[in-house]
Amino acid sequence: MRGDLGLVMLWMLSAAKECDGTSPPGKPALVGCRSPEKETFTCWWKPGSDGGLPTTHRLYYEKEKEEGIHECPDYHSAGNNSCFFGKNYTSIWVEYSLRVVAFNALGNASSDTLDIDVMKVLKSDAPEAVTVLVDENLNTPCLNISWKRPSKVDVTKGWVSLTYELRVKVQTGLDWMMFTEVAQNSLRMYNIEPGVTYEVQVRCSLDHSSWSDWSKATFVEVPGYFRNQRLVWTLVFVFSLIPFLAAICILILKRKLVKQWILPPIPGPKIKGLDAQLFKSGRSEDVANALIANQNFPPTSVCMDQTEEYLLVSESNDWLLTDPYRSQRKKKSLLTPSDLNLDPEIQREVSTPGHSDREKSKSSEDEKDDFTPTSRCQSKENMSNTEPLLLPPPEKHQNSSVNVVNEDAALLQTTCENVVQAVAGYVDIQQGENTQEVGVEQWAYSQVKEVDETILLIKSHNLPVSSASQPREGSVAESVPTDYSRVKEVKGDNMVILHKDLHKSLCKKKEALDTEWTNQNTKMPHSSDCSKGMCLEMIGDGYVDSVPRFSTE
Amino acid sequence: LPGLDPLSAVWVGIICLVFSSRLSTMKAASICPNDQTGCHLLPLANLFDRVIQHSARMHGISDDLHSEFELYFLPSKNQIGRVSRNCHTSTILTPNGKENAQRIAREELAEIILKLLVAWRDPLWHFHQSMSQHDEFTNFSSNKSLEMSDMVHELRKGVLKVVEKMQMLGIISNSVGDTGSPEALLTSDSAEWRFMKDYDLLYCFRRDSNKIQNYLKILKCRIVPKHGC
Repeated sequence: MRGDLGLVMLWMLSAAKECDGTSPPGKPALVGCRSPEKETFTCWWKPGSDGGLPTTHRLYYEKEKEEGIHECPDYHSAGNNSCFFGKNYTSIWVEYSLRVVAFNALGNASSDTLDIDVMKVLKSDAPEAVTVLVDENLNTPCLNISWKRPSKVDVTKGWVSLTYELRVKVQTGLDWMMFTEVAQNSLRMYNIEPGVTYEVQVRCSLDHSSWSDWSKATFVEVPGYFRNQRLVWTLVFVFSLIPFLAAICILILKRKLVKQWILPPIPGPKIKGLDAQLFKSGRSEDVANALIANQNFPPTSVCMDQTEEYLLVSESNDWLLTDPYRSQRKKKSLLTPSDLNLDPEIQREVSTPGHSDREKSKSSEDEKDDFTPTSRCQSKENMSNTEPLLLPPPEKHQNSSVNVVNEDAALLQTTCENVVQAVAGYVDIQQGENTQEVGVEQWAYSQVKEVDETILLIKSHNLPVSSASQPREGSVAESVPTDYSRVKEVKGDNMVILHKDLHKSLCKKKEALDTEWTNQNTKMPHSSDCSKGMCLEMIGDGYVDSVPRFSTE
Repeated sequence: LPGLDPLSAVWVGIICLVFSSRLSTMKAASICPNDQTGCHLLPLANLFDRVIQHSARMHGISDDLHSEFELYFLPSKNQIGRVSRNCHTSTILTPNGKENAQRIAREELAEIILKLLVAWRDPLWHFHQSMSQHDEFTNFSSNKSLEMSDMVHELRKGVLKVVEKMQMLGIISNSVGDTGSPEALLTSDSAEWRFMKDYDLLYCFRRDSNKIQNYLKILKCRIVPKHGC
């Protein structure tokens, strides 16, 4: 009982003592230290209970390998319950041993020691002045993020290095885009969406130690459309519109052409080679030309124009009395092998190549008609007996030249056998078919009287007479023709009377005759003394190369 | 030579002289046409960058190893007082602040770096040896210790090259690079490191590699400040 009372008394006394409110201070605790730039550092502590009495706190530290206990140099710069170690008091790579002691009137209390190395407590401030801009100048728009280093940190001496880290997210989103190990003070971010607000934060670390706090969030709004995109599209639209409008204008202006091109007119019927314009003029000759011009008829050999040369040869003199050629009508002239008389008046007509073609074309109509000067075609009735040698009828235009210029061997045979009853008429011998190269083409006539021998008028088509006239002449000159008719008498300029004694074989060889022909033909234009018509050259002693060399047996 | 008259010989001689002179000048200033912008120091800056990168890597490896040791052995923080943590390189006086590092001479700074590198050559080698013998260490740690040991060798060679280049350019005097004194230092302290525990050794090396890296950076920014400081 008494013991219990004593205990109660003691307890009451102690309680009475506490009821004063004073006690020694509680034990403080060091919270931590931090160096923002690797040159200074600050430590904070948390005080314990103060025991109701004013208490002071003191920080004591010891440095590695330094003797002595030092007290905190600066209690105020960093705020309450802190100790700031300035540059002079900071040593890197040195261990500090810190403790805080709380003092009051009744006692003191010491905290636990804290060992720190400044290198371990590096933590910088957040980067400053974070600015974000939307960069539209480039083809792809981007966010241009830039910031400044924390102001306290000095990176110029190489003492400390800063590394940055960024994070970006859409304001309404949840996922951050991280950009690590950024050494520069700026960053470009692509792949941004238009019409979205972005949030950007930056932090840094000193010498790869712990990271600083994130900077305050910076917001940026990306416009809904991009300016350069709109400009590009408007430009494209305008420039594509210009050629379109131009095309439409062209189409309207040239609508006729377009219509023609799209719906081409159907061509009417057309005869090949026929010019319809000629029909429109209405002239009959034009129509005829149009119809016939392109027919490509071979030229009629016997049809000649007005100027043609021919030589009349007859045996009897009484023949001369007639005036056969004056009127240019058909003549009854005979050509006998014995006597060849020449017409005193020979109508000489020189044929020109130019005319011959026209004559040929006209021969078809004129031949049937009278024997006009313009036409030398033999009429059918005259030469009916001498079929193979006669001039062709109008229908046989193709054969006209052939008849005269007879290349056919068969025909040659027939002519040899037959007796040509040349009543009257002329035989046109065409020098060369369609040969107009040298203007030597001439028509050689022979008037055929009644002859009971065959008349051989052969010309080989192998001989290019006109063109080779020159050399022929030379060759001819050498070879003396064998068949000649002796000239009885020469009368005047244009008449020669031949002898009767012509002994020639009818069917001579082709070559010989050809040579004769050529002789005669080639020599024709060359003598200047001659009159317009055929010229008979005097060769030798009175022998003459007569035009048509007939040889009769 | 029959075709070689005296005049052409003279020309050939002149051309040869020009070429040889050009070659000799080329050796001296190969990259920079003019020295106005400090361009001639570009090769030195590049050398510095390389050694700094090397030292950064070395410090990274040492940091990793130290953290690994802490994980494996979990030494209580209070267990190791500051007394026992006595690195064998503490005899080398090193600047401990930015101002101090700026204040001392460049040659002295270079010499300190070399001293540190020399001092750690053998301990790291032995550390690696002891590492590889213990089975409880992973291959990862063993490779790192070997790499660390090699890096110290390479870095020392690199720093010697930088010093040589600086001496060639006339930036620092020729007093640096005496291989005699570091060796003497090593022999006197040779016994100390053998008594260090592995963990302490790693702690000390981590700190020293950080010092080396920092000193190299400061040296670069003092000598070639325009090239990335």
